[in-house]
Amino acid sequence: MSNIIEISGITKTFGSHVAVDNLTLAVPEGCIYGFIGPNGSGKTTTIRMIMNILYPDQGSIRIFGEEQTGGNIGRIGYLPEERGLYRKMKLRELIQFHGELKNVPNPGKEADYWLEKFDLAPWARKKVETLSKGMSQKVQFIITIIDKPAVIILDEPFSGLDPVNAEVIREVILDLRKGGSTVIFSTHDMSVAEKMCDFIFMIYKGKKVLDGTLQSIKDKYGQDTVLLQTDLGAAALSDIDGIDRVNDFGQMQEVRLLPGTDPQRILEQVIMKTRISKFEMSSPSLEDIFIRIARPEKNNNHE
Amino acid sequence: MNKTIVIAKREYRAAVRTKGFLITLLLLPIFMGGGFIVMALTKDKVDTTDKRIAVVDQSGQLGTYLKTRSEERNGRDIIDSASGVKKFPAYFIDLVAPDLNDPAGQKLKLSDQVRNKQINAFVQIGADIIHPVPGKEQSRIFYYSENSLMDETQNWIGYVLNDKIREFRIAELGIAPEKVRDLFYWVNMEGMGLASQDTRTGTIKEAKKSDILQTIMVPYILMFLMFMTLMMSAIPLLQAVMEEKSERIAEVLLGSVTPTQFMMGKVIGGLAVSLTTTGIYIIGGIVSIKSMGMSDIIPYNVLPWFFAYMLLNIIMTGCMFAALGSTCNDSKDAQAIQFPAMLPLIIPMFVMMPVIQNPLGSFATAMSLIPPFTPMLMLVRQATQVTIPIWQPIAGLAGVLIFTLISVWLGGRIFRSCIIMHGKRPKMSILLKQLLKG
Repeated sequence: MSNIIEISGITKTFGSHVAVDNLTLAVPEGCIYGFIGPNGSGKTTTIRMIMNILYPDQGSIRIFGEEQTGGNIGRIGYLPEERGLYRKMKLRELIQFHGELKNVPNPGKEADYWLEKFDLAPWARKKVETLSKGMSQKVQFIITIIDKPAVIILDEPFSGLDPVNAEVIREVILDLRKGGSTVIFSTHDMSVAEKMCDFIFMIYKGKKVLDGTLQSIKDKYGQDTVLLQTDLGAAALSDIDGIDRVNDFGQMQEVRLLPGTDPQRILEQVIMKTRISKFEMSSPSLEDIFIRIARPEKNNNHE
Repeated sequence: MNKTIVIAKREYRAAVRTKGFLITLLLLPIFMGGGFIVMALTKDKVDTTDKRIAVVDQSGQLGTYLKTRSEERNGRDIIDSASGVKKFPAYFIDLVAPDLNDPAGQKLKLSDQVRNKQINAFVQIGADIIHPVPGKEQSRIFYYSENSLMDETQNWIGYVLNDKIREFRIAELGIAPEKVRDLFYWVNMEGMGLASQDTRTGTIKEAKKSDILQTIMVPYILMFLMFMTLMMSAIPLLQAVMEEKSERIAEVLLGSVTPTQFMMGKVIGGLAVSLTTTGIYIIGGIVSIKSMGMSDIIPYNVLPWFFAYMLLNIIMTGCMFAALGSTCNDSKDAQAIQFPAMLPLIIPMFVMMPVIQNPLGSFATAMSLIPPFTPMLMLVRQATQVTIPIWQPIAGLAGVLIFTLISVWLGGRIFRSCIIMHGKRPKMSILLKQLLKG
């Protein structure tokens, strides 16, 4: 598998703020690559540099095997984080317009196909300003992938979508991947990243902190996590030694152990207090890894 | 299809399909010619209420004559004989004996009568009016009214009195009135254009009589048309780009086109809009002027220049306005920048009159060679009756062309770096830095 995008040592500063710091990353062709990281950590800046909207101060970006100069953005489908549509245009016209911009052979027919697929056909002749937020999201997605581009870059594609629509978009993304497209998307939703991505890349304060397959990342952190289900809930875990942090999901707790702690000792102490319905040794969830990196100094409660 | 053209097409459709466009298209000629239309409509609307004038005749020789003439006029001229409609007001003259003891008091009394609407005006004829000594009050005629400048009555009385005074003077000289008729025949100097030769037949064409319509109206209309075209095509780009930036449409588009394609698409869209409007106006104008039988005032030789200048002016101005729009984050930013940005378009409007009056003067020549002003001012000079040296429009056009290229390049650079930059509007120094850096 060859790399379709190769980023080597890029740095971008805005004034005195270093948004992206000496970042190197390779995206293999045909994979789904997840970009995660807290707000303001440099995800969007990195994506904009791949899109040639921003230029790196240092380093280089190669895409499709050549230096990124903007000439190839026609082969990339890009869904920006903040979306904008011409509000006065009719829906079908708008999709057709974007189809024409992307050299789609029969933009009108494509527009009809996608409108039908996303249940938007009744709105085809309505103005964009009459659509709900979720519908506009879907329209944005359609115009991004209307030409089935070789590389698809989606900045927060699922934000603001209900599960049904998120499902439709997920299906289309997977279909496109099957068709040979490479997909990069950024997200805050770790469960989506965990389920969909072949590779995960995490950026924090402009620096790369994680990069690899989900398994390789989890292996790095080892089996230091216990998934626990008890009658008492989180209360069962108070005053127990050897616990670093508890992610409380209500019905279930994800317990991170301090290094060197024997899980058997924890089990003993909990069993004294309450009835246990589940006690499972596990590697940390992506969410927990994310939090470990992004909030190492914060308290033990899941938010 | 070329992406620039796709964007231009969308811009054109979006602009032309709005109701606002149609309304502007219809209202513009009315707005432009509004003053003239109102003048034409009200020309025949004469105030026909009768006027009562008091006359204090200190010379004792003219009052009675004036009264007789006014009575003759009332009986003869004020009713249109064909239709029976009253065309003019009747004048009623009241002779008032001069109060030699208190002339100031008498003036006040008569003025009060005017204020109370008992009379419309009063006239004081000086005692020495037949043999005047310049400057002396007794050698003059005064007309007192509430609005003594715009008054038909005043003109008529002045004419009748002067006629009589002249008659007295001739009689004193003992010359028969018929003999002096030519003496009062004032010869007007008639302004003409230049004679020219028909290049095909070789016949010499008589010079055309130059009139106000041609000397002022033709340049004025062409310049105004260009100004309004810019107002409809290039200047809205500032607002439009700002909106596309703040609504994040720009970034979505930048996923499929380069900033330069984006900007040029918008400018070309504006250009197409302006060609539509000017096309409609110019064809409409030519047709209506021809139907009025005045086809020789149409400046066919200037029209190609008009379109050449307009084309470049829209690209030049459009790029600048689009670039400025890309530096704005909200409409407040846009408003703050709009007026200063429009100055290069407004200045030619201010200096238009002096340029029309003296198209060959050094002021007009210099102003019309400054590239941002050239499209309007050179056009004005070419549309006047004089022949301006041929190198000037060519040099002007070359200057505009260079300036246009510079503004496309400069605008493109500003646009590219500002269009997705949100937050504070960049300062001039940062803008300049970006220009150099690219």
